[in-house]
Amino acid sequence: MIRQATMPALVLLTCALGACSDKGGDPARQYGPNPWLPQPRQYLLPPMSVPRAVGWRPGETPTVAAGLKIQAMASGLMHPRIVYTLPNGDILVVESNSPGTEPFRPKDYVQGKVKARAGAAAKGGNRISLLRDGNGDGIPELKTVLVDRLHSPYGVAWVAGKLYVADTDAILAFPFTPGQTKITAPGVRLAELPAGPIDHHWTKAMVASPDGSKLYVGVGSNSNITENGMEVEEGRAAIYEVDRATGAKRLYATGTRNPTNLAIQPGTGTLFAVVNERDEIGPDLVPDYLTSIKDGGFYGWPWSYWGSHVDVRVHPQNPAMVAKAIRPDYGLSSHVAALGLAFSRGETLSPRFATGAFVGEHGSWDRSPLNGYQVIFVPFVNGRPSGAPVPVATGFLAPDHRTVRGRPVGVALDRTGALIIADDVGNIVWRVSAASADRTY
Amino acid sequence: MTALAKRERAELLHPFFISLGGALLMAALFTDFMYSSNSLIQWSNFSAWLITGGLVLALVSAIVLLAEVALGRTGSIRWLDFILLATAAIVSIVNVLVHTRDAWTSVVPTGITLSAIVAVLLLFAGIRGWTVTEVRMPVREREPQAGASE
Repeated sequence: MIRQATMPALVLLTCALGACSDKGGDPARQYGPNPWLPQPRQYLLPPMSVPRAVGWRPGETPTVAAGLKIQAMASGLMHPRIVYTLPNGDILVVESNSPGTEPFRPKDYVQGKVKARAGAAAKGGNRISLLRDGNGDGIPELKTVLVDRLHSPYGVAWVAGKLYVADTDAILAFPFTPGQTKITAPGVRLAELPAGPIDHHWTKAMVASPDGSKLYVGVGSNSNITENGMEVEEGRAAIYEVDRATGAKRLYATGTRNPTNLAIQPGTGTLFAVVNERDEIGPDLVPDYLTSIKDGGFYGWPWSYWGSHVDVRVHPQNPAMVAKAIRPDYGLSSHVAALGLAFSRGETLSPRFATGAFVGEHGSWDRSPLNGYQVIFVPFVNGRPSGAPVPVATGFLAPDHRTVRGRPVGVALDRTGALIIADDVGNIVWRVSAASADRTY
Repeated sequence: MTALAKRERAELLHPFFISLGGALLMAALFTDFMYSSNSLIQWSNFSAWLITGGLVLALVSAIVLLAEVALGRTGSIRWLDFILLATAAIVSIVNVLVHTRDAWTSVVPTGITLSAIVAVLLLFAGIRGWTVTEVRMPVREREPQAGASE
């Protein structure tokens, strides 16, 4: 009796608070340096909208921009997240997922179940596979496991005879010569990274500095917005600079909630990052962003977003830090979950994609209509992101938005300049190349 | 006669479950207060679990109550107690949703306000005996009638 009476009352109350007609606006308003930012909202029911993961049927592929073609380079992978090209052209595929977290609150059980629908709970391979496509036709002659038994690996970088792998808890260094197809030597722990016991954002993005002397590592926050306590955020939501020779590390930038990927801009050597911003204050808050990273810069999390917009969920507040918060360079719109970042290397795909960065958008889980689920190209002018992004690969999401075939994660350019995309729901590595250029190397 | 009196005096079971759930929901006011005063997140986690537990016990109480009604063990409904307890349950459903928010605003200001409203409602319901119905009183006239059927 009590239960029957409550449901209509609950629905009424929820609607009264606006949650049942709370659709996100046009993402186009949130691209660029001055994204539209609505007032933050508080919800009774956390807005969740997750398509069901179905995978690709044989012959199905993402849709690519005019003048490009796409093919599956490898399939049957175990949750591929990051792709990386070695100097000899071999492609490394990091197959990984979260080490698993312990629920703290009743909410954590429910949220975990919903996200699992979209394939987020699939087991990762904890390994790195190697693809060798010697003739550049997009069909690898060799597919083999390079190294396995890793611990939720993500970032990978090769510098001067060593392959560096960023596991969720440490950077490992493996002696490695490009051309090698198997690593058997155990990795040496170069530096410890903030990990358990919660490890809410577990990925450790990594890129080497232009001279190879440093490694930059992205460490995500241990919560959405400090709901696991401030003490577990020590040393998190930051980008570290790790000395490659000694393993000594320092905070290079802070306040970056979840810096999911890093890349060095060609020519200038500037460090750029894609950062995933906070959830549950509205479908259009807060835009994820692409930004150059300043040494010593503070980017707002947790106290504020997009510069000085205070987040009232954080207590105590910190006006001194809010005053220091840097506004990011370029909004990518809200909840797209930008995970991949790779700079273009000229007109290898098309003159349109000559100067700028490719961004892999894993796709939203707490926004309706869904946002992301595509790979975009952000044009750069005078060294800065500028103008509207161009969709490069779409069609990961079914047209009715109820099912999802794949979700793009890491992106990289291969030796020929083709775009490689890791897809952790389709368990496929895609290769996008110029339709006209069937060149071989 | 003795057996009959025993059975009819057998206490109702639903007040026991209501009192358990009520204790958890009232405790959430304390944990909310602790979080609001020291910002230590674990107190807000306690609140979320206490309210969830309180609502599970409210559901159990409702099922037991319905069973007792079906078995004819209950007397007439006590409307004031029913309204106090039903309101506390409805407000607590809203409150558990407020407590799914992240960090400060899961408690302050809405969560702790709702917890306080629930605690006051339950304080009255508790003093009045945590019961939704009367115990069915023995029907004294029936016995002689049953014995004296001619």
